[in-house]
Amino acid sequence: MKADAQDNIIEARALTKRFHGFAAVNDVDLSVRRHSVHALIGPNGAGKTTMFNLITKFLSPTAGTIVFNGEDITPEDPAEVARRGIVRSFQISAIYPRMTVADNVRIALQRPLGTAFHFWKSVRTLDVLDARIDALLEAVGLLGHRDQPAGGLPYGRKRALEFATTLALEPELMLLDEPTSGLGHEDVDRIAELIGTVSANRTILMVEHNLSVVARLADTITVLARGQVLAEGPYAEISQNPEVVDAYIGGSDD
Amino acid sequence: MFELIGISPVLLFGQVLIGLINGVFYAMMSLGVAIIFGMLRIGNFVHGAQYMLGAFGAWYLLHLPDLFPGLGLPSLGYWWALVLVPLGVGLIGALMERLFIRKVYDLEHAYGLLLTVGLAMVIEGIFNVFYGAAGQQYGVPDSLRGGVNLGFMFMPLYRIWVIVAGLVVCAATWYVIERTKLGAYLRAATENPDLVRAFGINVPRMLMLTYAFGVGLAGLAGVMAAPIYQVSPQMGQSIIITIFAVVVIGGMGSIFGAIVTGLMLGVVEGLTKAFYPQGATTVIFIIMAIVLVFRPAGLFGKETSAHQPSDIAAARPESILENGRLWLAVFAVGGSLLPFLVYPVFAMKMLCLALFASAYNLVFGYVGLLAFGHAAFYGSSAYVAAHTASAFGFPTELAILSGVAVATALGGLFGWLAIRRQGLYFAMITLALAQIVYFYAVQASWTNGEDGIQSVPRGHLFGIVDLDQPLNMYFFVLAIFLAGFAAIYRIVRSPFGQVLKSIRENEPRTTSLGYSTDRFKLLAFTLSAGLAGLAGGTKAIVFQIASLTDLYFMTSADALLMTLIGGVGTLLGPVVGAVVVVTMQKELATLGSWVIVVQGAAFVLFVLFLRKGIVGTLEDALARRAERRRRPADAPTAAPVAGDEVAAGKPR
Amino acid sequence: MTEAADLAVAGLSAWYGDSQALHGMDFAVRRGEVVTLLGRNGAGKTTTLRSIMGLLRRKSGHVRFAGEELLGRLPEYIARKGIAYCPEERGIFSSLSVEENLDLPPVVAPGGMSHADIYALFPNLAERRRSQGTKLSGGEQQMLAIARILRTGATLLLLDEPTEGLAPVIVKQIGQVIGQLKARGLTVLLVEQNFRFAAKLADRHYVVEHGRIVDTIAAADVAASMSRIENYLKV
Repeated sequence: MKADAQDNIIEARALTKRFHGFAAVNDVDLSVRRHSVHALIGPNGAGKTTMFNLITKFLSPTAGTIVFNGEDITPEDPAEVARRGIVRSFQISAIYPRMTVADNVRIALQRPLGTAFHFWKSVRTLDVLDARIDALLEAVGLLGHRDQPAGGLPYGRKRALEFATTLALEPELMLLDEPTSGLGHEDVDRIAELIGTVSANRTILMVEHNLSVVARLADTITVLARGQVLAEGPYAEISQNPEVVDAYIGGSDD
Repeated sequence: MFELIGISPVLLFGQVLIGLINGVFYAMMSLGVAIIFGMLRIGNFVHGAQYMLGAFGAWYLLHLPDLFPGLGLPSLGYWWALVLVPLGVGLIGALMERLFIRKVYDLEHAYGLLLTVGLAMVIEGIFNVFYGAAGQQYGVPDSLRGGVNLGFMFMPLYRIWVIVAGLVVCAATWYVIERTKLGAYLRAATENPDLVRAFGINVPRMLMLTYAFGVGLAGLAGVMAAPIYQVSPQMGQSIIITIFAVVVIGGMGSIFGAIVTGLMLGVVEGLTKAFYPQGATTVIFIIMAIVLVFRPAGLFGKETSAHQPSDIAAARPESILENGRLWLAVFAVGGSLLPFLVYPVFAMKMLCLALFASAYNLVFGYVGLLAFGHAAFYGSSAYVAAHTASAFGFPTELAILSGVAVATALGGLFGWLAIRRQGLYFAMITLALAQIVYFYAVQASWTNGEDGIQSVPRGHLFGIVDLDQPLNMYFFVLAIFLAGFAAIYRIVRSPFGQVLKSIRENEPRTTSLGYSTDRFKLLAFTLSAGLAGLAGGTKAIVFQIASLTDLYFMTSADALLMTLIGGVGTLLGPVVGAVVVVTMQKELATLGSWVIVVQGAAFVLFVLFLRKGIVGTLEDALARRAERRRRPADAPTAAPVAGDEVAAGKPR
Repeated sequence: MTEAADLAVAGLSAWYGDSQALHGMDFAVRRGEVVTLLGRNGAGKTTTLRSIMGLLRRKSGHVRFAGEELLGRLPEYIARKGIAYCPEERGIFSSLSVEENLDLPPVVAPGGMSHADIYALFPNLAERRRSQGTKLSGGEQQMLAIARILRTGATLLLLDEPTEGLAPVIVKQIGQVIGQLKARGLTVLLVEQNFRFAAKLADRHYVVEHGRIVDTIAAADVAASMSRIENYLKV
């Protein structure tokens, strides 16, 4: 694995995060290979969401470094990290409820235009983005809801909208925090399919509980338990690993 | 030795003593505010009024025979008051919690502050009606007359008593909270009220008692203050803003911080009075600004997790009432007719305040930041415009522009200091910063203190149009209003405005999309300050005066009130609110001092019953009507709402 | 088995905002039993406990305890009826010392354990009674969270993943404690992901998936049903 280290899009080295003396993430090394789908799984409290927050800098690590495309991004703030192309979703669907579905996506698309501070320009100058908005909404099956306030969408569609917004930034690395949680069966399938489609030429790191989704999509799985890496490998390997089985079903008699 | 620094020891120790006494009151008051904030998450702006109630309570007890002649009531002195008044004020506090404050726990923090501002206006307003500005005397109790000669100075016995008693009360409160079972409940409920309830503790009742206790402390401070300061309706108003600053410096939520900081700042204030008297009124606020730069969480506070701006906008973007082009045309036509229907001066007042409120709404409604110091921008611009026009002979348009420039710069500076803090902190900080400007204007020579700058020349617009002609002046003001309104509409409907709205609705998401949200908030705040300055500068020219009222915090409260009445975050709300408030002030002018009571009551009523304001409510009604019209056509075929899609109430 | 159910949950549905978390939970716990809710993350186990405790606003169905309907009651009322809740995140108060944490929940009925009993059960806590609550290790915090609700005299304990994130030796200790509680006649509703831990303690297991009970396994059938259980829980 060392040989193709530069093929890792992101590397967390010896990452540790303590809250009140309790190490939620403890000395974790995590490397994600470019153009792979990488899943983080583990029991509750294993530190998965904390890892996410550390990588996107919503939390600052107590120790350790994060390297993205060979550059140390540990000291950067969340917005800077996002501008580098690391874009995350949230566990609870993060949308703008009072804005229309199209405006939700437009917020993401307008940043690269560089006019975000232009308070003297008309919002019409953003109309150039319409074609791309429509394409993105089409991709997630929301084109028909284009001009509706996003808050009125059913839950599954909110997640789809969030996905479209994340995708709008053309992220090099997409972090999905439980993309299928709270969804019904059909919605799970739809989102899983979407993830599969967009993973073609980008890297995805996701926290996911739905193991059939993980099995279907993930090239590599890292199992976290008690803030540490328990195992790493492809699904076939992980699912047979006795330690992983223990972590899920309970420690064997000692 | 003391002569070396040019101050006599008597003066120095005298000031330190006065400072220490003030400090004791600061400590007792900010302790109450800190406890209430920690437990209830309410910025108790009515604390000053409750302190005033304490002082009046003592005075009433003393004058029972005069107040109720014929009932044969005895005159109850200081010691009775010390026991009875805190209980009575605490009881009033419990009632207020039950009737009003409880209703806003589940709402955005902004409403708690608005509600208590309204309650303070009502209580202080009522006392003002009956007692005016004149203070009542309350004598030092006989048992504490006299004093001790310390050799270098004479120390009155009562002051010693106040210092000792105040410190004991603070220490006892600290002990109860930090070291007893009851305090453990309070601390636990501050951390995780749900879990404490799940243990079987009646947290709502505990909140009520906590509020009553904090308020009772203010009442006690009021009784103790009565023999030292004058018992007047204004005594609370002048202390509450300082108290908020003390709490910000100490670190919100820190009981210990509130006590220590209160004492310390009292002494610092006293020392400043001795060495640099001009700075005494502002030193606390300046310390606050410095502390904020280096320790944003306060001296003893812990960094709290950031909480998002409040999204309390009431607008429905698709509503016809949000169509700026349409309304710009309506205002242009209606505005042209207005001076023929009402007095031009009245109409101009409306336009200035409508612009001021609209500027304020840009920050409060569209970004969700509860700013509480816009008087600083409005007033500073008024002063600068007035001064440059009268002292330097600037042409009118340049005078106003100078005002706008100063207000914008001030907005940038205040915004830079405050923008990292949110919710209540943001309100308290902007309020305290605005006080610096106010006290500066009280003391500077060019502002003429209480008199203000009067007889400001209206001048000629572009050197041609004589603005002393009422209609010329009016149409100039109308043009400024329309330009300002158009500017705000453009800002809101710009690429920048889109990002602002997204920040208001979900800031972490906007951050995760790569926007450094603080910069957007800062720019919006600065723009809002500049536009508020435009309103203030224009007002100074129209009324030919800039006065302390323009800078006083009640002017900030007016902006809030107009926005709230009209509808927060709606395009027309601030305009409608300005019309309502200005009309109300005019119609109620015959009621004299009652106006402030009515305004306070309006605050309370709108917070409790009409949070969407007039325009927001109207937009809802219009939307519902449109919905009903659409409905009959397709109602029979409407699909039932599936389980997952049950329309959600506000998610908790 | 003839004794009436102590806790009977029927048709319990609950929502977080517009996302439905429970879709009609049905189960019962008899007096003196230890019963587990098993299931993967996000299945709705914690939500069930929070709903029983009255901590969730949007819910429908029935929660009967000792014959009384508790759905719609406030948490402080429910607690006073003798139900005690130990949350997944443990909820140790950082501004309280260990002893203050321990003494916080009020006694709701006679028959609770004394300090001496509790310190005998959790010797570590006795040593650290003056420490700040959150300065304890994860295992000690969990002990404290359980110990705290034993003083109150509550007869039904809701324990949410008491073994989460703990080292095996601590897990074993907690297992012993729950065994002793059962011996004292307390009723326990246990949420667990750690099946092997739960298997040793429980009279019955309910498997939760997507917010409803999908299977019930009595203690006697566990050995025979092992492959079925692994299917529910495994990776």
